[in-house]
Amino acid sequence: MLPVALLVVVAAAQVTLARTARLSPWKGGGFGMFSTTDDAGRRYVRMFVSAAERSEELAMAPSLEDAARRAVVLPTDAVLSRLARRVVERERRYRRPVETVRIETWRIDYAPDTLAATSRLIRDYVYRVDAAPAPRP
Amino acid sequence: MWTRLLRPARDEDGVSDSVLTLTAIILLLRPLDVWWLAPFVLAAACLSLAVRAVRHTPLTWILVSLLVAAGIVFVWPLSDNHIYLLAYWCLAIGLALSGSTPAATLSAGSRWLLGAAFAMAVLWKAVLSPDYIDGRFFRVTLLTDERFADASLVFGGLSRDQMEENRAFLEPLPEGAELLSPPAFVEPPRLRAFAAVATWGGLILEALIALTCLIPANGRLQLARHASLLVFCVTTYALAPVAGFGWLLATMGLAHCRPDQTSWRAGYVAVFILILLYSEIPWTAVLADWAGR
Repeated sequence: MLPVALLVVVAAAQVTLARTARLSPWKGGGFGMFSTTDDAGRRYVRMFVSAAERSEELAMAPSLEDAARRAVVLPTDAVLSRLARRVVERERRYRRPVETVRIETWRIDYAPDTLAATSRLIRDYVYRVDAAPAPRP
Repeated sequence: MWTRLLRPARDEDGVSDSVLTLTAIILLLRPLDVWWLAPFVLAAACLSLAVRAVRHTPLTWILVSLLVAAGIVFVWPLSDNHIYLLAYWCLAIGLALSGSTPAATLSAGSRWLLGAAFAMAVLWKAVLSPDYIDGRFFRVTLLTDERFADASLVFGGLSRDQMEENRAFLEPLPEGAELLSPPAFVEPPRLRAFAAVATWGGLILEALIALTCLIPANGRLQLARHASLLVFCVTTYALAPVAGFGWLLATMGLAHCRPDQTSWRAGYVAVFILILLYSEIPWTAVLADWAGR
């Protein structure tokens, strides 16, 4: 019965995370796949960096894709902070100033009858670079 | 304790060889996507297929289960649900093989795992998701998910141009924005009916499997359990692009059969192969081309 108990515990945790932390129902071991349009393919992140004389939206770089995929599925502080740190590391590699990273997580909603699609912001997260550890030389 | 985990299970009351073989084949057909774990799982699967003693040793399956679980933790939260089920299943095999009645233990374990997994699936579809019961999920997915596109053309009666227009319609606009000339949305009655059949057919079958697995009775209920699971596999994995899940369900169903239930056992092996064919033959694309869609 241990495997069944594990399944039930993980599934209960998944439902809780989906309800409280916006985990996509498709992921996390709760068997919510093919039950909703709220999947990773219909969520996306937008990343903005700002510093003195700089404020711009970033395109998704390949080095950020893995962290972004996780942030899309589970946009918690911990996961978004990890993505923001990757952004800061990348900006510093290119010697570009960065003081804050703002990450918006969006999902697509469809109207019940017409299926008209709209994007809805589900998480707005700001990461201040002061709190980040200094980069290695 | 350790010697029990290292000793191959006895033949009498043992787990059917085909269950262990098919589980090893699943591990080979869909390797883990974590490079530093996949080689060990593949090696264990190969050894299991080649050496009977490895296949029947509890520790083999417990180790595989731990490796799969490590993969889930490493890529958290990106793993698909059948990877979780695979970890539970390998653990169930390992624990059953280390007990005194392996076949009976694994048969009961597979029934409970199937029941719990399908109960969760029904809970999400019927209660927790706001856009499943009203049909939105399949209406949108049949149009936007490339993996269902050919089926939508064939069974939904759409043309490729209509499909493209519908996809443009289903692209989101920023909040408050409106297009001067929005793309048309065409939803033929056949497509709407296809979405409704997928929505309700899937839910009813899943609820049936959950119920028949969670009610601990034999006789006719057991027959209904096998029949609903087989029908689910045959219909769902013809279109759903998750063969790994289907193989796992067929193998778990096989493990739940008694040795004398030869017809059901043959049915599960046939379904395992059918799902393999579904996944390798683009039959909906061939039909769409043939129908000029």
